[in-house]
Amino acid sequence: MHTCDLDISINRLSKIEGHADLDIKIKNGKVEHVELHVMENQRFYTQAVKGKPALAVPQIVSRICGTCSVAHLTGCIEAVEKTLDITPSEQTMVMRKLMMHSLMIRDHALHLYFFVAPDLFGIDSILDIDEDKKEIIHQALHVKEAGNNLSNLIGGRSVHAMFEQVGGFTRVIDNAKIPEVVEELKSIRPLIVDLAELFYNCDWEMKRKTRFVALKTEDFSYLEGYIATSEGEKIEEKDYWNHLHSVVLPYSQAKGFEFEGEEYMVGSLSRLNLNKEAMHENTKKDMKKYLDVFPSENIYHNNLAQAVEIMHSIDHSIELLENREFVKEEIVKPTKMSGEGVGVIEAPRGTLYYYLGVEDGKVKYANLVIPTAQNLINMREDVRKVVTDICGDNVAPTKEWEAKIKLEVEKMIRAYDPCMSCASHFLKINWK
Amino acid sequence: MSEKKKKVGVFTFTCDEGCSIYMIEIFNKKLIEWLEKMDLEYFLSMKDRRDATEFDIAIVEGAITTERDLHEIKKVREMSKILIGMGNCTITGMPTCQRNNFTPEQTEAIKDDLEKFDFLEKCLPVKEVVHMDDEVPGCPMDEKKFIEVLEKYL
Ligand code: SF4
Repeated sequence: MHTCDLDISINRLSKIEGHADLDIKIKNGKVEHVELHVMENQRFYTQAVKGKPALAVPQIVSRICGTCSVAHLTGCIEAVEKTLDITPSEQTMVMRKLMMHSLMIRDHALHLYFFVAPDLFGIDSILDIDEDKKEIIHQALHVKEAGNNLSNLIGGRSVHAMFEQVGGFTRVIDNAKIPEVVEELKSIRPLIVDLAELFYNCDWEMKRKTRFVALKTEDFSYLEGYIATSEGEKIEEKDYWNHLHSVVLPYSQAKGFEFEGEEYMVGSLSRLNLNKEAMHENTKKDMKKYLDVFPSENIYHNNLAQAVEIMHSIDHSIELLENREFVKEEIVKPTKMSGEGVGVIEAPRGTLYYYLGVEDGKVKYANLVIPTAQNLINMREDVRKVVTDICGDNVAPTKEWEAKIKLEVEKMIRAYDPCMSCASHFLKINWK
Repeated sequence: MSEKKKKVGVFTFTCDEGCSIYMIEIFNKKLIEWLEKMDLEYFLSMKDRRDATEFDIAIVEGAITTERDLHEIKKVREMSKILIGMGNCTITGMPTCQRNNFTPEQTEAIKDDLEKFDFLEKCLPVKEVVHMDDEVPGCPMDEKKFIEVLEKYL
C-alpha cells in the first residue's frame, strides 16, 4: 500500500519577505498538522513606541518593515491625525496617494518579477533565466525604477521616506521634475500588459471558499473608505478591531487573526474582488481582459491582481501629477494633545490597522494589525488543502511526493506575498 | 585577461530588511553592470539555492539579537573574505536594538518572548560581534556610499 506518510520541514522559505519555516505532518494520507513558523525575531515596536512623542511615532514604525515602510508611515500618520484632530490638506492627500501608488508599483513588481516569475519559468532565480528571455530582467528593473523615482519625487526616498509627516509634507514636489516622472510611468505601461498576460496564461489553480476583506476606496487609492467583505459586511475603520480576534500560533513569533471567528484573506485579490469598479478608466480599458477574471476564488489570481494594480497605480499617478501645480504648504498642527484614534489603509499585502492612545502628546498605547498576520490562518488552511489534494489522488514513492508537496506549497505561499518582518509585530494583550 | 567574478552573498539578520530592499532599488540602475563582476551566490530574496560555502564578499544587514543570529554571523564571517555592513543596525544596532533601552516595565512585558525564543541578554550591532571590513551608515544606508564601497571590492 502506498499511503502518504511524511514529515516535511522547509527551513527558511525563500523568495518571500522575511524568515519563516514550515512543518507538515502527514499520516496515512491525512494531513495531521501544518505549522507555519514565523521565525522573524521580534523587534518590539509596539512596546518601543510607548512614551514616545506621537508626532515622531510614524517615522519610528516605518522601520517595522523596509518593504512596505510607506504603508506603515501612512497608516500610522492617519491614526495620529485622527487622534489629535488634524485635517490634512487636499494636496497632502494627493501626495499620500502618490506615495502609496509608488509603493504598489515597486513592491508588486518585486514580488511578481523576482519572487514569482522564477516559478513560472521553472528556475530558481530570475537571474538564471535563458539568454533569449533575459529581457524580462531589464523590464523588471525598469518598472521598479519608475516606481522608485516616483517615491523619490514625493517622499525623498523609497524606503523610510523622510518628507512624509503628520500634518503634511516637509518638502513640496519639484514641479519641474514631474514631466520626466510621468514619461517614465507611461513608458512602463506596455510592460505591465506583458506582465499581466504572463499571469493570465498561467494555469495554476487553488480554490477554497473563504472571506475576502478590504478597504473599499472610491478612487482605489488605498486610503480612506470603509471595510467591505465578500459576505456583504460594511464596517467603519474605527470598528474594524471589534470584528477580529487574534489566535496564538504555537512556536511562531507571530499571531494569526480571525474575522468573526473564521479565516479570511486580505490583499490584492480581495481588493479586486470587492472594488474593481473603482479602478482608473484607462486601466479598465486596457486591462479589461484581465479585470474580467475577478471576482475569483483562485489564490493564484492574487498575482494577476497585483499586475492589474500596478497598472492602476501608474494611471492614477499620471492623472494626479498632470493635473495640478504643487505649492508650498504649512504643516497642519494638532488641535489637541490627548485622545484615541484609528488609521486604516490598504498596504500592498492588505488591510493595515493602527490604533493609538495618546496622553499629553505621548503615546500611551498602540495596537496594530498586520496584513500577513491576517492571512496566516487562511494560508495554513490552503496549505492543508494543497497537501490533501496531492496525497488524495496520487500513488507515488515518498521522494516524489515530498518534492511535489514542497514545490506546490512554496508556490502557493508565495502567491500570498507574505511579509514576515511585519507579521512578527503584534499586541501584547496584558496592557493597561 | 579575464578576472574571476566575485562570489557575493547577502545575509539578513534581525531587522526590517530595509537596507536590502534599498539595495534592490539601487540594483535598478546597477545590477546589470555589477553582474559582469559578481555572482550572487546567496540571497534568499532572489534565489533558493544555498550551497555556497565561500564568499569573496558578504553583504550583511540587521543586528544580532538571538543565539541563532550569533551563531550564524560567526559562520558568515568565517566563510567570507570581506564583510560589509549595511545600515545603522550593523554599526550601532539601532533601531533594531531598541529593547536595550527599555524601562524595567517594558523589559518585563517582553520577558516571556525573550526567554522562549533564545534572545541574547543584549541586542548587539554586527560590528561588536565580528570584524566588519567596511560599513555603510544610514537608515536605510546611504545610496552613494554603498555604490562606492561595493565597487571598491568588485
Ligand atoms: S538600518 Fe534601518 S533600513 Fe537598514 S536594516 Fe536597519 S532598520 Fe532597516
